[in-house]
Amino acid sequence: MASTSAPNLQTRNLREQLAESFDDLLLQLSNFWFGMSLLALWGVMTLIGVVVEQGREPAFYAENYAPALTRLILRLHLDNIYHGSAYIALVALIVACMILATFKRVIPARLPPLHAVKIDKIPLHATIALPQDVATARARTEAFFRERGWLVRKREHSGVEWTFADKQNWARRGVLVAHLGFVLIAIGTTMYWAWGYNGDTTILTGAEVTIPQNGTRLHLDRFAYQIEPIQTRGGLVYQPIDYVSDLHVAPREGALHPAVLRVNAPLDIGGTLYYQSSYGAAVAFALTKDGKPVSGSPAVPLKEGEGFTIGSTARSIRYDRFVATIDRDGRIGADPRPNNPGVVIDVADGNQLIGSILVPLDRDLDLGNGYRLRVGRSTLFSVIQYRHDPGVPFVGLGAFVLLAGLCISFWCVPARFYVRVDETPEGSSVGIAATTVKGFEIFDEQFRSLVAALRGDLQDPSAAPAT
Amino acid sequence: MSFDQDLILAAISAYIVATLAFFNYLLSRIELSRRIGIPLAMIGCALQFYELVYRGTSSHIWPLTNLYGSLSLFAAMSVLIFLAFSFRLGIWFMGGFVTALASAFLAYALTWNEGYLPAVPALQSYWIKIHVPLVISAYASFLVAFVSSLLYLIKYYGERSLDAKATRAAAAAGPELSRGTPRSIIVGDSPNLERAAASGNALALWLATLPTLAKLDSITYQIVSLGLPLLTLGIITGAWWAKEAWGAYWQWDPKETAALVSWIVYAMYMHLHTRTAWRGLRCAWLSVLGFATIIFCYLGVNIWISGLHSYKM
Ligand code: HEM
Repeated sequence: MASTSAPNLQTRNLREQLAESFDDLLLQLSNFWFGMSLLALWGVMTLIGVVVEQGREPAFYAENYAPALTRLILRLHLDNIYHGSAYIALVALIVACMILATFKRVIPARLPPLHAVKIDKIPLHATIALPQDVATARARTEAFFRERGWLVRKREHSGVEWTFADKQNWARRGVLVAHLGFVLIAIGTTMYWAWGYNGDTTILTGAEVTIPQNGTRLHLDRFAYQIEPIQTRGGLVYQPIDYVSDLHVAPREGALHPAVLRVNAPLDIGGTLYYQSSYGAAVAFALTKDGKPVSGSPAVPLKEGEGFTIGSTARSIRYDRFVATIDRDGRIGADPRPNNPGVVIDVADGNQLIGSILVPLDRDLDLGNGYRLRVGRSTLFSVIQYRHDPGVPFVGLGAFVLLAGLCISFWCVPARFYVRVDETPEGSSVGIAATTVKGFEIFDEQFRSLVAALRGDLQDPSAAPAT
Repeated sequence: MSFDQDLILAAISAYIVATLAFFNYLLSRIELSRRIGIPLAMIGCALQFYELVYRGTSSHIWPLTNLYGSLSLFAAMSVLIFLAFSFRLGIWFMGGFVTALASAFLAYALTWNEGYLPAVPALQSYWIKIHVPLVISAYASFLVAFVSSLLYLIKYYGERSLDAKATRAAAAAGPELSRGTPRSIIVGDSPNLERAAASGNALALWLATLPTLAKLDSITYQIVSLGLPLLTLGIITGAWWAKEAWGAYWQWDPKETAALVSWIVYAMYMHLHTRTAWRGLRCAWLSVLGFATIIFCYLGVNIWISGLHSYKM
């Protein structure tokens, strides 16, 4: 018998020990100070991301920061801190810690049972001596609180009858509401990570693209922008006023229909939102040698930053930037509205930049050795961002729940009065104490005025006992 | 000089005189000073709102699209929130600090006056009319909370120096008299303060005119109680707007992340204020730190760090 029950006992002990350790762990995780340390760490890590430029190439950090700092940034992945596993794990831990704290600490502390207290040990306390008997004093105290809208409940503890008067008792749940809001936001964000996607696409005027994730087709009929010159105190400023893409759009396997896309007015196509992001001018380049087209000459208009190599040489051409206005002296003008437009092109030999040239559109450029470059016309393109985020309703709801929780917690002060009436040789004595969820100072004035009013009420011989 | 600049200069002048009057009230408690300071602060504030409305209606451009307009609203809201709390809580003694800071921010705003510039496309949204005033009002609340924490710290360290003096004097008088002074949980003024004030100590006399430390702490808490929900709502409306303008409600742009840092600091303030050991001194320091993060978020990020919100763009 003993030989069979011993392993059972051991297993049970082990299970109990494990359960105990697990409980300890949960208790530790729900610890207020642990949670506050996590919040502080969250603040510090977020601040690092503000101060250290995010998402740059390693060369950028090497150029702009001291070598030791650059090493630190790159080794600790501070260059992309918000998407690093440490940051995500920290936020997850905060959510876990908050949930545990809510159940293990907030609920027991914020929703205390109606229990007896040592009245004179509570900082907000008072005693009122009365000539009336206990029953009258009790009835009138009760009536006093009821008339003022307090929730009055009675309990007997160790043979003593206690009266409890609560104000804004419902607001004790404000913390739960705020914490729930934060959890909803976390759920929404996780949903985006799990099922959402985003991206951007560039469409030349007259061209069509298909969004890879959802098969939606977008055809750009026309892109228009408006820029206005405005005289400011600092000089003439060219201010962009409007960007508009006239499109034809079709969800997967649907027919194309017209749509207009503007900044601040996204299009919703099949649950994915499309946004007007930016625009640019693509330019047609044609390379010839001795008057004949050269293989490698770009087949489609190039966008800023794109380039090609010159035939079989080591040299290359890069379309650096579009210039809307070339002024009378042949220099880059300030006006961003097309008015004698041109391009700046960079010529490189291998990786070595040889020089940059400003060339008007519709011109030929002699590159030597029989090579000629034709800088053709420009075509506007629109850059459109898209995003599918199934978590948005959760994040939106969470944000407002969180806000509601904050307002409840901040603006409503649930207070509880503890009242016991004792018999004295002169009549009775009413002992009163009050607690709030926000300490005592905040309720001090109200407590004093309520006690004064109660005293007046109880000591007024003309007032009849309320029923 | 244009009419709107004249209005700003008139507001700054009103604030400067109000500052002198309120500081005189803080130091002397002469009622007349308070009576002069209140209408001047109100006049400055009204002039500022009139200037914003005037600029908006005469140019047909929403006046809060640049740092000039937003700093101007910041100063006006700080004074307005101070006035509102003062009528409720009687905190006029803080007025000098608030109007001094308001006039300094307003003078600084003038250096960012570019004239009339319409908003870039991303800013042409009704959200700018909701989001910016909310965020600026949150910043303004934190400015007022900062001033009350500052007064808390002045009173706390002033009392401490009097306590130290009293302890030294008691130690010199004999060991049996050198026991510390017990304090109740609802902290009143230190008995040493009362004693020093009774003996004519100028610092003690002045400190005694301020509310008790517990009261000052409660004032700061009540102001943060306005600021944090406003900041939360400001971040929410900003996220909503970002979703419309840039496609994602949260892009980790330096401005929104800096606002998140401030939000975290004030969320910690709110939590730590539930602990008796933290209520008071530590929370006052936390409120000072919180305001430093607000200034960093508001001006530091706009001026030094580029991003979607940068005014340098
Ligand atoms: C690390 C995570 C967190 C932990 C461990 C935690 C824990 C707690 C606890 C224990 C309380 C009750 C304090 C008391 O009355 O004694 C509390 C209050 C509160 N918490 Fe949290 N919390 C966390 C994060 C958050 C977050 C992110 C929010 C979002 C705003 C939040 C909102 C609130 C609110 C509004 C209160 C009520 C404060 C008051 O009544 O003054 N908490 N929290």
